[in-house]
Amino acid sequence: MAKDRLAGVLEQYEAVIGLEIHTELTSLNSKMFCGCPVEFGGEPNTRVCPVCLGMPGALPVPNEAAVEATVLAGLALNCEIAPFSQFHRKQYFYPDMPKDYQISQYDLPFCGLGYLDIEVDGDGAAQRVDLDGGPYATRIGVTRIHLEEDTGKMVHVGGSEGRIAGADHSLVDFNRAGTPLMELVSEPDMRTPEEARRFAQKLRLIMLNLGVSDCSMEEGSMRVDGNVSIRLRGETELGTKTEIKNMNSFKALHDALAFEIVRQADVLAEGGHIVQETRHWDVTAKRTSALRSKEEAHDYRYFPEPDMVPFEFSAEWIDAIRTRLPELPDARRERFAREFGLSASDARTLSEDVEFAAFFEEAAALAGTGLAKPIANWMLGDFSAYLNAGPVALTDARVTPAMLAELVEIIDAGTISGKQAKQVFTEMTETGDAPGAIVEIRGMKQVSDTGAIEAAVDRVILANPDEVASYRAGKATLIGWFVGQVMREMRGQGNPALVNEILVKRLG
Amino acid sequence: MSLDVSKLSARAIRDGIAAREFSAQEVADATYARIDAVEGPVHAFNELTPELAREAAARVDAMVAAGEELPPLAGVPAGLKDNMNLVGTHTTCSAKILEGFQSPYDCTAVRRLLNAGALPIGKCNMDEFAFGSSTENSAFGVTHNPWDLSRVPGGSSGGSAAAVSAGMVTVSLGSDTGGSIRQPGALTGTVAMKPTYGRVSRYGIVAFASSLDQIGPFARNVEDAALVLNAISGHDDMDATSVRESVPDFTANLADGVKGLRIGLVRDMLDLEGLAPEVREATEMSVRTLEGLGAEVGEIDLPTSRHGLAAYYIIGPAEASSNLARFDGIRYGHRVSDATDVLDLYMRSRTEGFGPETIRRIMLGTYALSAGYYDAYYGTAQKTRTLISQEFEAAFEKFDVLVTPTSPTVAFKIGEKAEDPLSMYLSDVYTIPMNLAGLPGISVPCAKSGSTGLPIGVQIVSKHFDEATMLRVAAALEGALGLDMTPPLV
Amino acid sequence: MSISEADVRHVAMLARLALSDEQVSRLQGELNSILGNIEKMQELDLEGVEPTSHSIPLRNATRPDVVKPGLPRELALLNAPEAENGAFVIPRIVGAEEGA
Ligand SMILES: [Mg+2]
Ligand SMILES: [Zn+2]
Repeated sequence: MAKDRLAGVLEQYEAVIGLEIHTELTSLNSKMFCGCPVEFGGEPNTRVCPVCLGMPGALPVPNEAAVEATVLAGLALNCEIAPFSQFHRKQYFYPDMPKDYQISQYDLPFCGLGYLDIEVDGDGAAQRVDLDGGPYATRIGVTRIHLEEDTGKMVHVGGSEGRIAGADHSLVDFNRAGTPLMELVSEPDMRTPEEARRFAQKLRLIMLNLGVSDCSMEEGSMRVDGNVSIRLRGETELGTKTEIKNMNSFKALHDALAFEIVRQADVLAEGGHIVQETRHWDVTAKRTSALRSKEEAHDYRYFPEPDMVPFEFSAEWIDAIRTRLPELPDARRERFAREFGLSASDARTLSEDVEFAAFFEEAAALAGTGLAKPIANWMLGDFSAYLNAGPVALTDARVTPAMLAELVEIIDAGTISGKQAKQVFTEMTETGDAPGAIVEIRGMKQVSDTGAIEAAVDRVILANPDEVASYRAGKATLIGWFVGQVMREMRGQGNPALVNEILVKRLG
Repeated sequence: MSLDVSKLSARAIRDGIAAREFSAQEVADATYARIDAVEGPVHAFNELTPELAREAAARVDAMVAAGEELPPLAGVPAGLKDNMNLVGTHTTCSAKILEGFQSPYDCTAVRRLLNAGALPIGKCNMDEFAFGSSTENSAFGVTHNPWDLSRVPGGSSGGSAAAVSAGMVTVSLGSDTGGSIRQPGALTGTVAMKPTYGRVSRYGIVAFASSLDQIGPFARNVEDAALVLNAISGHDDMDATSVRESVPDFTANLADGVKGLRIGLVRDMLDLEGLAPEVREATEMSVRTLEGLGAEVGEIDLPTSRHGLAAYYIIGPAEASSNLARFDGIRYGHRVSDATDVLDLYMRSRTEGFGPETIRRIMLGTYALSAGYYDAYYGTAQKTRTLISQEFEAAFEKFDVLVTPTSPTVAFKIGEKAEDPLSMYLSDVYTIPMNLAGLPGISVPCAKSGSTGLPIGVQIVSKHFDEATMLRVAAALEGALGLDMTPPLV
Repeated sequence: MSISEADVRHVAMLARLALSDEQVSRLQGELNSILGNIEKMQELDLEGVEPTSHSIPLRNATRPDVVKPGLPRELALLNAPEAENGAFVIPRIVGAEEGA
């Protein structure tokens, strides 16, 4: 639907997209303001205490590691770290919020202005109708990053599909209440759904590299909301925006924004106007719909959290956090390209995932920089295909960096052919045996002994005089048939390059 | 002859138990006997906890039997304001919305008091959620002043004050947000102190205004107050506003006298409208007494502090309106049984569960924080607070302690101010500035009214974390005046 | 500033209080009187004065990221007006869905 329409709409209108991304700091041990563990799932109300239940008299004390993680994220996104910051209370009544206010940050967040550079290539690049359709890079501003607490969860009983609407009553579980939640607000710098998707994906990679969250959109530890408006091309004033929620995957994010852009254009085409509202993405119906909005306007009555004192970060403290910044995907990609002579796209794919990149580097170190390229090829080829095909995570894979290094070394020494190597690799993934051992057991050693190959070539030439004649008469394509015969003769173990070379010599 | 603990000091009780003159169990029995005799007309308690008290007494007696060194408050009967959580008790804040609430955890200060050997005698009545200065705003009945049962004991910690004054407990804990310990202390003739903000953990005390609340002791003498302060002070990991300041032995310098100390009488506070002449005289007399003891006495004006009341009646209700949001009928507390939906549940449970003064403060605070009014009210109040703090800072460059009246009047009649919130609010005009500035203050009985015989208190204030000097001045004044502050109650 | 009846009703809604007409009119008078007095008392020059949210110079108060024992579920639900399957029960929700 929207895909074809989107191109047309974007010819006429420019879309303006900003994102709000909540990331649960799932890597922490304890909650934001109490000592309850940060975990997913479990029996209701079994990871709670007076603080995260909002019991009378209980007080919140901020988790040091959550503050540090937020500043670390800010540094990774080139943000200004505030010298003076504070928690505020955001007040509204809701049953999943134990204190009926959320401890959040308001005008004094930990991290101020920053940015993230994204690259767009492939089909998605064409959404930028003002560009040439090829790959491009663009800088997206980050307005702020702040820290807050997550809410509890509700199960709605008696309605359809567990939705609030139509439910008879609801059950509240506060296990998740108080989970540290980092909120990033972007500038409205994105112009296409693809740019929004790339931004969210890149942010996820960075968070994973920082080791602060598992960033699962499905389980809700990373939640992306989008603000989108459109305006006629050439117009400088912003149109009325809508806020889109419930986008539980990157595809949903892209598709929901695409749908909404087209919907807004349709409304305008019919002479209507856009209503500022929150809309819900329905992944099954593939459409957004307005949430019933309260007649009462929000008045959050923010004020400085009186149960906590302000934060003042010294330059030394910020520098100490900065030293904890790991190598981020962009820097690693450049280094991989430079150190190992990889193509830009190979370097990118290898460098994005921390563990995948570490695997590559370990294998390359064992085999030597000269073999880094074939290692990269294996990782991006058969190894990725294997990981993508099954439920096996990299950390559980039977193939180790040492095994991959050994495989590449064996191939390089000419011991086995490329075809044999694929077989060996498959067996490695199945048995966890080292490639050397597999080659040994299977008797796969490739024959590079010139004498043996010459003998086999001679036998084939002797046995097939007609074909030899045809070849010598000019039917050069027969060389392939001869290679096949020699290989059969050698039960597939001849070094193909040598077989070819000797055949050509003997036949010629 | 059965034991009478109603006049014994905390030290006398502990030492008597250590010397095996009487047991902690006998102290507990004597305490409840005394309560049986006088609690009826006073109504200082919302709940008595004899089982907890006797368990605590048994532990003390076991220590005596084992020949162990007794902790400083061993066997000392203690009352707890009913906004402090203690497992095994109900914590109601004298509010219908918390009627029957069973504490699932302990307040740190209470835990520390009990670890020092004190016996938890019961939970003391208070103004609902600590909103008031008379203990009339209680969902569970009015507390009467042991000096004159037709009068209020002050508030909001009126039950804690009355229980100590009437000899039902030796010491008690109250909480002070704008004077809720010191003012009832003055009105009941007890020693009552608010420590420096951050000195005592607030964990487990139901919050009124988080940036102002502080727990402190009531006692019948300065030394007992210092002993309780020793027990409850110190950093707590559970309270982000509790300081890591070292805690001295607050009893160590009580006998040092005031020679050479610079004492400042806050002159312009004596000119405030509504100050009873006899309270003014008692305040000036106290300062002259201290001068006679060798202190260097001077005068100072604190013109900004009179604006404290206005700032307080914005900041207090604003924070309270937020702190009381959690009483929504979902996890605990009063809940209407026939709610049609969540909004209806919230609105009716809260309206039924909160008393009129609580509703007034929630409304005031919500309004002051609402869109369009924040700067005019909350912002202005927070800036006023800055100026008041700066004014005190300057004053403490000239003086070691400051002296003011505690309450503008002696105990007033029950019902006298109940219909006029503003006149009630004025009861705390002398105590509020210290909460805004986070300063410690103590009210010490200094006279009895010539006309009514009712007690009058004087407030001594010191700089942050200098409770020791404040207590030293209080002890000197107490010793010099030698007042008998036993109320005329059988 | 004077508080109107509509203001009182709006604030009551924000605070989730269901006030009777009689309560509304009484509170309107009381709040106007209290705020009127507060304004009268505030004649300070506050130009350039920083707001104070805490009176003590404490900063950066945090706790280490360590798990501590919480409440057993029986205690968590001890005071619950209504519980089911270990969870707090609430009636149906009418209106918008909120989120963090
Ligand atoms: Mg948020
Ligand atoms: Zn917790």
